[in-house]
Amino acid sequence: MKALWQSVCTVAVLSGGLLQAAAADLVVAAPSWPSGQASANIMKVALEKSLGIKVDVQDMGTLIAFTGLDTGAVDVYPEVWRPNFDTLVQRYVTDKGTIHLSPRNVPATQGLCVTKKTYDEFGVRDVADLKDPAKAKVFDTDGDGKGEMWIGATGWLSTDVERVRAKSYGYDATMTLLEMPEEVGMSAVDAAAATDKPIVFYCYSPHHVFQLHEIKQLSEPAFDPAKWKIVLQADDPMWLSKSEAPVAWKPSSFSVAYAAALQKRLPQVAKFLDNIDFSTDEVTAMSYALEVERQDPAEYAKQWVSTHEDRIKAWLR
Amino acid sequence: MAEIWRLRGRRGWAAALFIAVGLGAALAQAGSTTQIFDPKTHKWINYDRKKARQYYAAHGQVPDAFRRQIVPFRTAEKPGTIIIDGNQHFLYLVLPGLKAVRYGIGVGREGFGWAGIVRVGRTAEWPTWTPPAEMVARDPNAAKYANGMPGGPDNPLGARALYLYQGDQDTIYRIHGTPEPWTIGLDVSSGCIRMNNDDIVDLHSQVQVGAKVVVLMQGAALYKGV
Repeated sequence: MKALWQSVCTVAVLSGGLLQAAAADLVVAAPSWPSGQASANIMKVALEKSLGIKVDVQDMGTLIAFTGLDTGAVDVYPEVWRPNFDTLVQRYVTDKGTIHLSPRNVPATQGLCVTKKTYDEFGVRDVADLKDPAKAKVFDTDGDGKGEMWIGATGWLSTDVERVRAKSYGYDATMTLLEMPEEVGMSAVDAAAATDKPIVFYCYSPHHVFQLHEIKQLSEPAFDPAKWKIVLQADDPMWLSKSEAPVAWKPSSFSVAYAAALQKRLPQVAKFLDNIDFSTDEVTAMSYALEVERQDPAEYAKQWVSTHEDRIKAWLR
Repeated sequence: MAEIWRLRGRRGWAAALFIAVGLGAALAQAGSTTQIFDPKTHKWINYDRKKARQYYAAHGQVPDAFRRQIVPFRTAEKPGTIIIDGNQHFLYLVLPGLKAVRYGIGVGREGFGWAGIVRVGRTAEWPTWTPPAEMVARDPNAAKYANGMPGGPDNPLGARALYLYQGDQDTIYRIHGTPEPWTIGLDVSSGCIRMNNDDIVDLHSQVQVGAKVVVLMQGAALYKGV
């Protein structure tokens, strides 16, 4: 009896899946962040308009999307960040071959940023400047002589790395490192910019803050794999003392991923996805439109497609 | 009413004066310098207790920087959001079109004590004030109001209060007004934000229950617990 129930349930689940698949020719997974939402919707609008296929956009994060791409439940994922998800790329793209990664990518950066005012008038231009007690003091908001800076949200992998970098560069002695939700960190930038107060903070791009304010990234020694020794907090309670990273982050990027089977099932779509070449500025603009201007992703996508017909045509060739 | 607060001592008295005019952190940041923003020169000017007294005596109100005004404010936060910058003694109410209403604020003598994201859980007009247990135990005048002091012109919470919640939980922190600035010396108030009565009435009239409140991490005691 139990076995029968199991098979009935399996059939029901399968039928549900088939019904869902039949409703759309293509399923695009959309990550929660604004540029991911915008680009997923741009793909939907452009493909429906140009190829007459039905496209569904479904919200999901990278891990679930990769599982879906592997099993066939998902066809496209617009932003695979590297090196963050290199282990997934290795497993599904390189080893299994079930997922294809576009040869094009959007360059991304992370590091420490200041407002242009801070850069020009307070002379904070390089990460090493933060070690200078006199320069660090301009960021002091509690009268203890040390500056304060937001290094990311608690729980972010990058936040632990920023703590390691502060220790490795030595500015952990001159700056107090603050962990807060991103909205608190970004609102502090807004308030500093509104009153011309200096501020330094962890930043990553593409991000709408670069369009909202005049922002400069601090220079620092280039990434060197030989000097990058990161032990994660989750792996070792002594992670901080065992880690060293007195150099910039490894350059990162993100690319479109799609189910490899798409190359046979919908070759025109596969070609289109391989040709998508958003620039960093375009991705920043998407983030700004959705996050700051609060535009609806679907409406924004319609507008974008109607004003970028040449780009869409080029991607279809 | 003033007797209750007079017992706070010299420091409390001074705090009462300056918190009331939006300068509480002048004292909160003992050893550091409070500055005011001069919109004419776009510069920050050192502002100490003496200058604050002189200014208030001469003008009967707080300096320009702390008066309610609409300012350009570029943010991704949506209109209706409150952003509190305890370090600079400003509270922003985000408006459409990358602008905000900026109000001068006073923070408690012991600072705000925390930073993060909360929401306006409820609001009240002429709220009841209940002294905390330790104040009731210590101060016989406060003990009179152990069960709550009704709202009114003498009530230390002033004309309006916005109660800050985290989820469905009252954080005990409030943004509130002040009826008679010189009578306030609540050292119970670490965590509370004071505004002039006109300002809290203005803010209250524009804020919806549920509004997001972002408390920045800058400022003296804001670092405690971060």
